[in-house]
Amino acid sequence: MSDCKKCGTIPGTILLRQKDLYCTNCFLANVNHKFRACIGKNRILSHKKQIENVLICLSGGPGSAVMSDLVCNAVTLNNHKKLGLTPIFFHIISSSDDMNVARSIITACNKKKHDIYLCHISEYLLAKKNKPIMNDIPIINKEADTKFRNLLNDMSSSTKNDYLIKIKRELFIWYAKELLCNIIFTAETSSTLAVNLISNLSLGRGSQVQHDIGFCDSRNDIKILRPLKEITFEELQHYININKLELLKEKAVHGNSLQSVIKLFVHDLQDNYQSTISTICKTAEKIGIQDDNNHTNKCSMCESCLSDTEYNLSALEATNYSRTVSIDQEKAKCLNNPIDQHSMFPHVKKYLCYTCSKNYLEIDPATLPVHFKHLT
Amino acid sequence: MPVLCRTGCGKKAVLKRPKTGDALCKECFYHAFEAEIHYTITKGRLFNNGDSVAIAASGGKDSTVLAHVMKTLNQRYKYGLNLMLLSIDEGITGYRDDSLETVKQNRDDYEMPLKILSYKDLYGWTMDEIVAQIGRKNNCTFCGVFRRQALDRGAAMLNVKCIATGHNADDIAETVLMNVLRGDIARLKRCTSISTGSEGTIPRVKPLKYTYEKEIVMYAHYKKLVYFSTECVFAPNAYRGHARALLKDMEKIRPSCIMDIIYSGETMAVKEDITLPTQRICIRCKFVSSQEVCKACVLLEGLNKGLPRLGIGKSSKAKKMLEEYNAKQGHTTIKETMQYLDNNYTNIGNIENCLSNDKLCKSRVCKVSKNNTQLINISGKCNNGHCSGQCKNNQFSKDKENKSNTKINILLEQYELSETSNNVTVGPSHANILNATDLDNLYPDQDEDSCSGTCGKMGSMQIGF
Repeated sequence: MSDCKKCGTIPGTILLRQKDLYCTNCFLANVNHKFRACIGKNRILSHKKQIENVLICLSGGPGSAVMSDLVCNAVTLNNHKKLGLTPIFFHIISSSDDMNVARSIITACNKKKHDIYLCHISEYLLAKKNKPIMNDIPIINKEADTKFRNLLNDMSSSTKNDYLIKIKRELFIWYAKELLCNIIFTAETSSTLAVNLISNLSLGRGSQVQHDIGFCDSRNDIKILRPLKEITFEELQHYININKLELLKEKAVHGNSLQSVIKLFVHDLQDNYQSTISTICKTAEKIGIQDDNNHTNKCSMCESCLSDTEYNLSALEATNYSRTVSIDQEKAKCLNNPIDQHSMFPHVKKYLCYTCSKNYLEIDPATLPVHFKHLT
Repeated sequence: MPVLCRTGCGKKAVLKRPKTGDALCKECFYHAFEAEIHYTITKGRLFNNGDSVAIAASGGKDSTVLAHVMKTLNQRYKYGLNLMLLSIDEGITGYRDDSLETVKQNRDDYEMPLKILSYKDLYGWTMDEIVAQIGRKNNCTFCGVFRRQALDRGAAMLNVKCIATGHNADDIAETVLMNVLRGDIARLKRCTSISTGSEGTIPRVKPLKYTYEKEIVMYAHYKKLVYFSTECVFAPNAYRGHARALLKDMEKIRPSCIMDIIYSGETMAVKEDITLPTQRICIRCKFVSSQEVCKACVLLEGLNKGLPRLGIGKSSKAKKMLEEYNAKQGHTTIKETMQYLDNNYTNIGNIENCLSNDKLCKSRVCKVSKNNTQLINISGKCNNGHCSGQCKNNQFSKDKENKSNTKINILLEQYELSETSNNVTVGPSHANILNATDLDNLYPDQDEDSCSGTCGKMGSMQIGF
């Protein structure tokens, strides 16, 4: 067996990218470095003098297992490298079958002498959300839970996957405020982000890529950071094996959806072309936002800026015209007047972005939480 | 129970539109299909009244439908366009020869003038010959790069205002995905714009940008349009194939995703601090390029030098390849040059003239050969554009090893590359090809400039990369 590529003295035991061998120590140092460099480079935490409260969102998947381990190690250091933050662990219980996962997460966290807060995902629908419960499973609101399940069941799987991400984002921000955190950590790896980029594009969220895939989502005052952004899924698995971390659940994508097809595709391509994911992520880094300043209007659902740039012709206008011409050919003779009542995009540009407007078509407006009342 | 047409015309629906999910009858579908293209043309301000427009015609479904619809709409809405067809013959046996027959049929059916340009005439190579050199892999690179330029050349010849291409919504969505996978941010930015072309170039427009491939096929099928539907015999372009496979899988789940991807591309912005390559003009052929020398010229150079992989992959690899080539060639060519010079001196017997012609050059050649560098050019007299136009490389064309030179000469004659060569400064390490000129064509009265070729300032055959 050949020697570690990094130190060159110890035989390598960990094979990355099907060609590079590393020894355990160099590998772990590298993963830790990537994590620290990602936080340090972006100066969102480091330039602040006081110790920040950070909401660490754990799903129980491999990413969050590694993230919680890295964070715990970094804050317990006793030298100048100690990470200046107070971690506040948080978990959203996605469905009633997830209770076991929730219990294991509580145990795992308490083992490391940390507290964890929990809430149910159906809180999303409640006007007055309950306070998060510490180290225990909160009592479920049966009515909200049924309503929430109905809401999701009416959607196509692709919309459901997209909408769930937005729901979780909203809940993370709400509970961060509640728990006095200004910063949130989520555990997306480069592999997840590559899949998310293509999913974003194929849902029409091309203009939101910087917030959804970049290191920092700054659409709200409370910022969401992705410190595992540079770490690959392959590295995660090695890290978990070496540190014997407990895996609580596999990451699930709903049904036969755009996201599941894209995930399969990216992982297949990655197996054949080792640079696939890194190329996709590099592309994502170069995509920005059109004229970021002076936007007052934000999408009610995803908080993305509603661009006031008027496109004379875009896929939105073309789709609306297709609808008009397929319904009423007389009206279609006037090119400037697409009919509103059959629009493919309700509330678009006014309250909702292109994709959220499409999602809205699949939602029964009556089930939406109070703060969406203006949409009904 | 049959589904009725969504417009309420009372007829039975024949298809469900992928874009909106509405079911339409045949007549309403024709109307909707054409109205949408009219909407795209009008809203996108693609043409002006009185423009001459070349329709890039391959004989396939997209261009056939485009030609048909353009003709229909031009008459119906009085665009006042002067439409013509422009075809490129790549020289692919069993594919293009057959599809061109379809284009000729279109020409007769739609009463439009047709211009066909062939790779053989433009570049001296057919795709069949290129594939014989490069193999089945990467050959689409050649075909695509050459066709792009060939269309520009054709449009310039036809003196049209713009070229309309048959790119449909599926093609564009596929290109967006492909550019993400390849990390090509510059193309990602421009691939969704409906009209492309910088200043000084002929713009290309895509009237079928928002039209689904499926509907194009249906339209052609119901209207019984004649089109050619065979896949290219060299088709499998690996990387585009991946993007296409993904798009097809996604389309099955959610047909509207094609429009969504286009919308993503349209509204996406590139970060300000990212430097994008600027479009400029190739110093050799004067057509659009993002590099000093355009890809077409690099690829062609590779073919002519017997290094077909020259333009494939990184440019650093190309440089290395050229250096190796030159190192190898340098040795033999010097010998040949000397021999050639000797032969000419003795054969022609007019040593006095030659000496005066090559006075400076001779010394230079000697010096060069001593130093064993690669800079050799005995183009002698034929500067100022005279050489490249008229001289034929008779002696060397017989020589197998230098066969490529004649090919280049023919091209140079056609495209006046010599004009550009003044801009090319070639250092000793740069590529050079022997340019042995026919002594009959020498002009003794141009002695003073005779050396410039060898000094590297001039020489129609010098290629600077």
